[in-house]
Amino acid sequence: MSVRTDSEIITKARHGCAPGGSIEPVDWADDHELDVSVIVPVQSSDAEVRDVVEALGSELQRQGRKWEVVFVFDGVAGEAWDEVLELRAAYGRRVRSISFKNPFGESVCLSAALERARGRYIVTSPQYVQVDPVELRSMLSALDGGADFVTPWRHPRVDPWLNRLQSAAFNLVIRSIIRMHFHDLNCYFRAIRREVLDDVAVYGEMYRFLPVIAYRQGYRVVEVRVRHLKEWGRTGFFGLGIYTRRFLDILAVMFLTKFTLKPLRFFGTIGGAFGLAGAVICLWLTGQKLFLGEPLSGKPLLLLGVMLIVLGVQVLGFGLVGEIIIFSQARNLKEYRVERVYETPPKARHGGDD
Amino acid sequence: MKPVQLSIVVPIFNEEESLAILHREIGEALEAMGEEWSPAEILFVDDCSTDASLHVMISLLRQDPRVRVLKFRRNYGQTAALSAGFDEARGRVVVTLDGDLQNDPADIPSMVLELERGYDVVAGWRKRRHDGFILRRLPSIIANRLIARTTGVSIHDTGCTLKAFRTEVVKSMNIYAEQHRFLPVLSAGSGARVRELVVHHRPRRFGRSKYGIGRAFRVLIDLFVIKYIAQFSHRPIQYFGIISLTTMGFGLLFGVVALLSLGTGDGHGLGLGFNDWEMAVFTVLALVFSCVVYFSLLGLLAELAVKASGMHRRSTLDRILNELHG
Repeated sequence: MSVRTDSEIITKARHGCAPGGSIEPVDWADDHELDVSVIVPVQSSDAEVRDVVEALGSELQRQGRKWEVVFVFDGVAGEAWDEVLELRAAYGRRVRSISFKNPFGESVCLSAALERARGRYIVTSPQYVQVDPVELRSMLSALDGGADFVTPWRHPRVDPWLNRLQSAAFNLVIRSIIRMHFHDLNCYFRAIRREVLDDVAVYGEMYRFLPVIAYRQGYRVVEVRVRHLKEWGRTGFFGLGIYTRRFLDILAVMFLTKFTLKPLRFFGTIGGAFGLAGAVICLWLTGQKLFLGEPLSGKPLLLLGVMLIVLGVQVLGFGLVGEIIIFSQARNLKEYRVERVYETPPKARHGGDD
Repeated sequence: MKPVQLSIVVPIFNEEESLAILHREIGEALEAMGEEWSPAEILFVDDCSTDASLHVMISLLRQDPRVRVLKFRRNYGQTAALSAGFDEARGRVVVTLDGDLQNDPADIPSMVLELERGYDVVAGWRKRRHDGFILRRLPSIIANRLIARTTGVSIHDTGCTLKAFRTEVVKSMNIYAEQHRFLPVLSAGSGARVRELVVHHRPRRFGRSKYGIGRAFRVLIDLFVIKYIAQFSHRPIQYFGIISLTTMGFGLLFGVVALLSLGTGDGHGLGLGFNDWEMAVFTVLALVFSCVVYFSLLGLLAELAVKASGMHRRSTLDRILNELHG
């Protein structure tokens, strides 16, 4: 999904404000390619944008990496926006910002920022310093070592026990459904190789499940234990609505990562099960009628059987339409990504002959 | 400079021990084919191997300029590897080959010659297989019978990777989701001239098989998809219309039964003289008729999806084959 770029939706910030502080200038700030882009979706006006830039920026500076921070204001303005304008004046192109007029959610923020980010590695961060910035070293060196996606595990955590309990339960459920050993999907302080994000489509509320999607698509996902500094956001019981949404999200992730190209396998299994159950019931009742002489009337079970058969057939019908959609799109679906082609250049190949 | 004549596509997944031997044998086969088929290219598609396969391939590339290596970003499976190979192939004939040495590259010349005699696809047939009977050969025999029965294209051995294609054929087909084994069937369905040729099959020398019996059920569903989806996709509304009319037929059948039994009961129910049995039948009737509506709407939806994809406007395999054979 991409963001509409008309001026209605995205209002690019103008330069202004006085330069602040004593930030040493660097010669790479305008480079086309950097090492790390930190992407920060901003969702409330009290975001601690200055802390994020200073904490992460100085850590990345210490590691000798060329960095930038891209803020995406998700339909918010106010104090944080003014602060970002000051930061931009002070840091130049190392701090950039995008602003949406209306809120679109983290996934859209991420893809809008990706279109503009210059880094080879992408670090996504919440709008405050949630995790000790020093952890960036181990996370980025994991990427250097060949990992595609580094997901953090906040341990030990500093938020109230009720939050921790719910979070642990959520992660336990995910672990048992997806059969992967991640402890903490709810922390958005992640380090990702850029190509992964180009390949893994992010949309809807899938932001949370990025590591799962990446893992299911065959990327190397690594978990790194990090020191938790503080936690924002809701405390107490999260509510049934949130739990329902999470559950549906998991279902969608499972479907999309496994059955995108073979919808009939998914719908066929479900529909087949329903149809089979219905057929067994109907055959049983028919047998009773034919051989035992028991009347069919007064047996609601007959209705259940017929309903199940109808349901099964309808689910199969959905699978068929799914297959047709995939088949007709086959030309546009490139199932693979080539990382690199190794070959002898044509000149060298025929150098001696002609 | 002469364009590439022959492309050998080999999907590679963890075959570090086999690669050097494979490359040598392919080289010998190409040698035997003579000047007419050079230059050839050997296209290794590395499906993100976890062993030293890539290093071996690159060292082969240094010795032999015919070798090209495609490295995948991650492991995508054999169908993707083959379709990447087809996309990248430059020759006018494409030969696909397993990387595990069970196919004998010495069969390549005869397959290509067979292709030159006027066929579009030459499929290998491992008449004497060297695999376990219960787990590998029996499922394969059943699957191939089924494929032959349902598609009307009799091919003994769809699972054999050793195949030769005219490039136009593979470039105009889109395979996805483990469909590679159906390539000859798919193309024959569009009117390609398919020929089978008995090839050698050798026992596995290194590593172990990457398949198991679990795929039997999946192959069945894939088979259904292959058989019907291509037809369905050309005029979905017609096929869904047929399903819809069939269900309507069932509905009418129930209706007739209900009418015939009218008034034979004890006069309960709606007060129209329907008895309980007839009430049940009428409910079933209503459900079945809901299916009629459902499938008609589904057909419209499918029509919409196909139209939106623009598939009906693109050149299809049938048309290309038509031009090929005049």
